Amino acid sequence: MTDQEIPYRQAEANVVLRQVGKPLERTDAEGKATGRTRYAGDYTMPGMLHAKVLRSDIASGRLKHLDASKARALPGVVCVLTAQDLPDRLAATDMPGQTGQKRASTDRQILVREIIRHHGEPLALIAAETPAIADKAYDLIEYEIEPMPGVYDTEAALDPGAPIVTEPDNIVGEHKIRKGDTEKGFAEADHIIENTFHTQFIEHAFLEPEVGLAWVDENGVVNIRMSTQVIEHFRFIADALGVPHNKVRILGAMVGGGFGGKEDITVELYLALLAQATRRPVRLAYTREDSFVGHGKRHPFSVSHKTGVTKDGKITALEVKISADSGAYVFLSPYVLLYCAVAAPGPYRIDNVKIDSAAIATNNMYTSAFRGFGAAQACVAYEAQMDEIAKTLGIDRFELRRRNFMRTGDKTATGQTVESAIWADECMTQALEALGEKTAASGPIKIGRGVATYQQSYGRITWFHDTSEAWVGIEVDGTVIVRSGVTDIGAGQASALGQIAAELLGVGLDDVVIYNSDSAVTPLAGTTTATRALYMTGRAVHTASSNLRERLVAFAAQELDARPDEVDLANGQAFVPDDPSKSMSLKDLAARGASEGLERSELAMFRAPFTDPIDQETGQGPVFPDFTYGCHAVEVAVDTETGEVTVLKSVGAHDIGQAINPQAVEGQIEGGALMGQGYALSEELIYQEGKLVSPSFSEYLIPTSMDMPEIKCIILESRSGLGPFGAKGIGEPSLTPVAPAIANAVADAIGTRVFDLPITPEKIVRALRE
Amino acid sequence: MLREFELDMPGNLQETLARLPGGTLLAGGTNLLVDLRARREDAERLIWLGNIDGFRDIKIEDGRVIIGGGTTIGDLLRNPAMAEAAPSLVAAARVFGGQMVRNQATVAGNVCSGSPAADTVPPLLSLDAEVHLTCSTGSRTVPLNDFYTGFKTNQRKHDELVTGLSWAAPGPHTANLFYKLARRKGDAITVVGVAVTVTRDGDRCTEARIALGAVGPTVFRAKDAEAMLTGEPLADDLIDSAARKAMEESSPIDDLRASADYRRHCIHVLTRRLLKQAWEDAA
Amino acid sequence: MSLEKAITVEINGVARELSAPANETLLDCLRRHGQFEVKSGCEKGDCGACAVQIDGEAVDSCLTLAWMVEGKKVTTLEGLNDADSPHPLIAAFLEHGAVQCGYCTPGIMIAAEAMLRDIPDPTDDDIALALSGNLCRCTGYTKIFTAIKQAAEVLRAGGGDD
Ligand SMILES: Cc1cc2nc3c(=O)[nH]c(=O)nc-3n(C[C@H](O)[C@H](O)[C@H](O)COP(=O)(O)OP(=O)(O)OC[C@H]3O[C@@H](n4cnc5c(N)ncnc54)[C@H](O)[C@@H]3O)c2cc1C
Ligand code: FES
Ligand code: FES
Repeated sequence: MTDQEIPYRQAEANVVLRQVGKPLERTDAEGKATGRTRYAGDYTMPGMLHAKVLRSDIASGRLKHLDASKARALPGVVCVLTAQDLPDRLAATDMPGQTGQKRASTDRQILVREIIRHHGEPLALIAAETPAIADKAYDLIEYEIEPMPGVYDTEAALDPGAPIVTEPDNIVGEHKIRKGDTEKGFAEADHIIENTFHTQFIEHAFLEPEVGLAWVDENGVVNIRMSTQVIEHFRFIADALGVPHNKVRILGAMVGGGFGGKEDITVELYLALLAQATRRPVRLAYTREDSFVGHGKRHPFSVSHKTGVTKDGKITALEVKISADSGAYVFLSPYVLLYCAVAAPGPYRIDNVKIDSAAIATNNMYTSAFRGFGAAQACVAYEAQMDEIAKTLGIDRFELRRRNFMRTGDKTATGQTVESAIWADECMTQALEALGEKTAASGPIKIGRGVATYQQSYGRITWFHDTSEAWVGIEVDGTVIVRSGVTDIGAGQASALGQIAAELLGVGLDDVVIYNSDSAVTPLAGTTTATRALYMTGRAVHTASSNLRERLVAFAAQELDARPDEVDLANGQAFVPDDPSKSMSLKDLAARGASEGLERSELAMFRAPFTDPIDQETGQGPVFPDFTYGCHAVEVAVDTETGEVTVLKSVGAHDIGQAINPQAVEGQIEGGALMGQGYALSEELIYQEGKLVSPSFSEYLIPTSMDMPEIKCIILESRSGLGPFGAKGIGEPSLTPVAPAIANAVADAIGTRVFDLPITPEKIVRALRE
Repeated sequence: MLREFELDMPGNLQETLARLPGGTLLAGGTNLLVDLRARREDAERLIWLGNIDGFRDIKIEDGRVIIGGGTTIGDLLRNPAMAEAAPSLVAAARVFGGQMVRNQATVAGNVCSGSPAADTVPPLLSLDAEVHLTCSTGSRTVPLNDFYTGFKTNQRKHDELVTGLSWAAPGPHTANLFYKLARRKGDAITVVGVAVTVTRDGDRCTEARIALGAVGPTVFRAKDAEAMLTGEPLADDLIDSAARKAMEESSPIDDLRASADYRRHCIHVLTRRLLKQAWEDAA
Repeated sequence: MSLEKAITVEINGVARELSAPANETLLDCLRRHGQFEVKSGCEKGDCGACAVQIDGEAVDSCLTLAWMVEGKKVTTLEGLNDADSPHPLIAAFLEHGAVQCGYCTPGIMIAAEAMLRDIPDPTDDDIALALSGNLCRCTGYTKIFTAIKQAAEVLRAGGGDD
């Protein structure tokens, strides 16, 4: 590792916290609870046009001709763009500002020129004076698509002679991990257990469909106000428009949910093209159907485990084969695959590991980021496999885990030493305990319990050399401003930064205002993805605030005639704790400072650990900054006649290092519990020949209030993470173990396993018949 | 955007009937507006029923329950008398859509939509409900059992309005139950719906109704199964055979939600359970 | 073009005149007239983000035509946030962290408020039934339930009226 700072945790293990660690009302809550918050879709401009995207309704074909002349002739239609109207440029689908290990080009066509590779691929963009006219123009565009043979599953995509969706061979990413000697490991085993687990396509189902408003300003800058997790796509947009990077600005707004689905480019590219072409403000609001077909999905994975284990339950060898359906374009598939491969052994010590993985192109919808990012699919497999091993051996499932858990100080399968606490065991123990007394079974209703533990990274892949910036300043009246490009996607990302600044500058959260999510005027903080926002930007705010604090304290010491190490800041005061006569308000301090030319602001950059890429052949080396560990435990009731499953109790126990806002952490755990429940039981996007046939919330079933179990949250705090005050990440980890825990509970209840998610009533009935 | 249409908003029943020919009735709109938006429906003139006085009223007269053509699912739930006057219908109302849809969706609209998955229909069939139809020249009553003529087709003539439905409130020693099996507990389309009525006299069943939803082109009664039960003591064996018969009478299809095979299996299980429960409850 | 008509309606206690074509939903019409707290999530009754009350009854404004509210009272979340006496649901949602991305919040408050007028002391089942048409992807509903129960308590104690 280069450029690594001294891990924070040693420095700040036992400080008294005044703001951090408290369940404070989030700074964004009131605006939302009163309906005053303006989301991206709530902005309008005089003279604004309304846009619409025409998409292919088949997955594989050739666009033989497209004629927009009738649409263009309709009064009120201002612009129709087709591929013919655009320069021959491509749009990047990679992570912004990053280069990783990829086999295939991650670029895609902006509008279909000739070949259609997935259902929903855009054919034309319309901008009109009213939404109704845009609708009419949509109907007036004439086109003909000649269907072509497509390929819709990963196995078929590797057949010789299969249609090639992505050059050269449909393989868009591969990763290998080699540790120890699996042959030797299997030879030492008393049992070898092999199983294959399948996961499905799923949808983020954020409540706010993608939306934005773009305009070109007097400086020729294309401004785009939109709902996104990633304002830093402005560079890709500029490249696609053929303008310098400083001519595109993306402004966020409070985001109505993201979960990874607003990580890739969505409406901004179309908005930018239309605003550039028309020189008028343009609004594009996806319908729910547009949203279903318009953004990438969670990858279906097939994960095969072959585990060697001694009769007393020690795992001696593990071989894993992973294949993921990356759909028609690359997007983030190579990274999602890497996450899955690295996560595949779970939070277990295994000396001999061999992992092979491939992401494979098909004519299905492209797949990309989704909360849990490959690691969730890995957990679905490794935790089910643990229960299957226990069953074969006749050992208690929890005891089997205990015999194999990684412990603090252990290395991962890629040889990375985990520097923080590994409390998987503690989390499991507490989660199980919290389930309490077992509900009684009655007649055909059987009760089952299951757990899943996990190891999940937070922060980006370390060879991405991830950085984040934040600015913290104190006004002359003692109030605080935080500026950072971070996007707030609903988890309280902005508010948490305010809490950190408030803590260090000795003010209340009410005294802090946070400006975020503007690529032109807030310091760039990277993406709100990869459970990195709090970790990375929290650290940047921490550093900026600490530096500012140091300067304020030094100045206060002068004013109060004390030594800097005697001065503390709290409750809006600078004071010497041991001498009540020595104190002044922050307001006076800031005003005095201003008149003396004291610098009242700080811009800080936080750099994650930087490493070189891992070895391509062995996969050995550090991959992530650090990991979160935890456990989810559930109790379910299964109607063994109809197959209906009721989740009764759901407990998440996670060591998150330090909760900045415990209420927000609980919110993540509870939200993850239901999202994971949908993943396990009811959610599935159904593609027929690549065409999505369930693009609606009446077919795609996310859990409702009536599906909610009793949920408990247990927060453990090892204060050992790399984030501010020793925090780890929770955004994604809260989801990861839920689906496998439910799968294990169902298997426990019915005595047999459904190996494919979602575990529908019908599959349960079928499994019981077999 | 919804496609363009004319919207008539007549202020009373007479005016409504006069406007009816050639128009499409709009009640709660929870089917019609969804279909218009999805372009499955191309009505040019809609006639809104929301301004007819008393159209939502629920009355119970001499043991007969009469609901208006505009009675909503929410109205059923809010009426305390309904728990006894139509237990299965209340059970269906509780698992129908969400609060807002329940406040908009009408029972008549649900019946007229003709969907085999319409949740009020199995209960109404199990209660021997009748449909009241009116046109500008007169009124008639059709047993719901005869109302459907095929998938989404029914006996209503294009100039007729459903002004209400009625049925006899279940008497003593009658149990009336409904169960909806769906892929999610809240707000979901039915995979299999079963309603049963069992009237018991001592240790004999004097009358039985079994109505099945989402397992045929229309909601229908499993009459052969009903016949097996009438006049008999409902021993477990008999209940099981009747449930199996109900299964044989169904003709479900495979769709996104479930296979025909699974649906058949569930008819058997659910009919058996409901009959058993009803037999006990009716004692 | 469908005929435009002026609709007289009381929105959150204020008499308004909205002009709308026959085929415009109440959702689109309200937003076009600046009621941005009414959210659009699906436009087909599946999500409840667009819920408003018409004469006190919660409905999906996406499945309501603007013309249908002629002469009626429409209440949106803004109406619950009366400056003099904000509804106790608002304080309860804040205190319990029942708001995450907040996109479902306006519809959920509208549905919850309607329920609380019917059922002053709701059980978990009552709340679940009242909210089953309001999807929330962020919170897992748990804190929403807690907040609604607290608001019910405040209302029962006579709070929120002064
Ligand atoms: C989110 C959502 C959830 C739903 N959940 C359920 C559910 O759980 N169970 C279920 O069964 N259905 C459900 N539905 C479907 C729908 O709500 C019902 O079928 C509803 O009862 C239809 O009634 P309506 O008043 O809205 O009818 P409309 O949509 O207004 O009309 C439906 C049809 O009936 C005709 N019609 C209406 N009233 C009359 C009348 N008085 N006389 C003659 N014809 C008439 C109309 O012309 C139209 O053809 C759901 C719909 C949505 C959008
Ligand atoms: S927008 Fe009306 S219910 Fe979803
Ligand atoms: S808070 Fe985001 S959908 Fe409910």
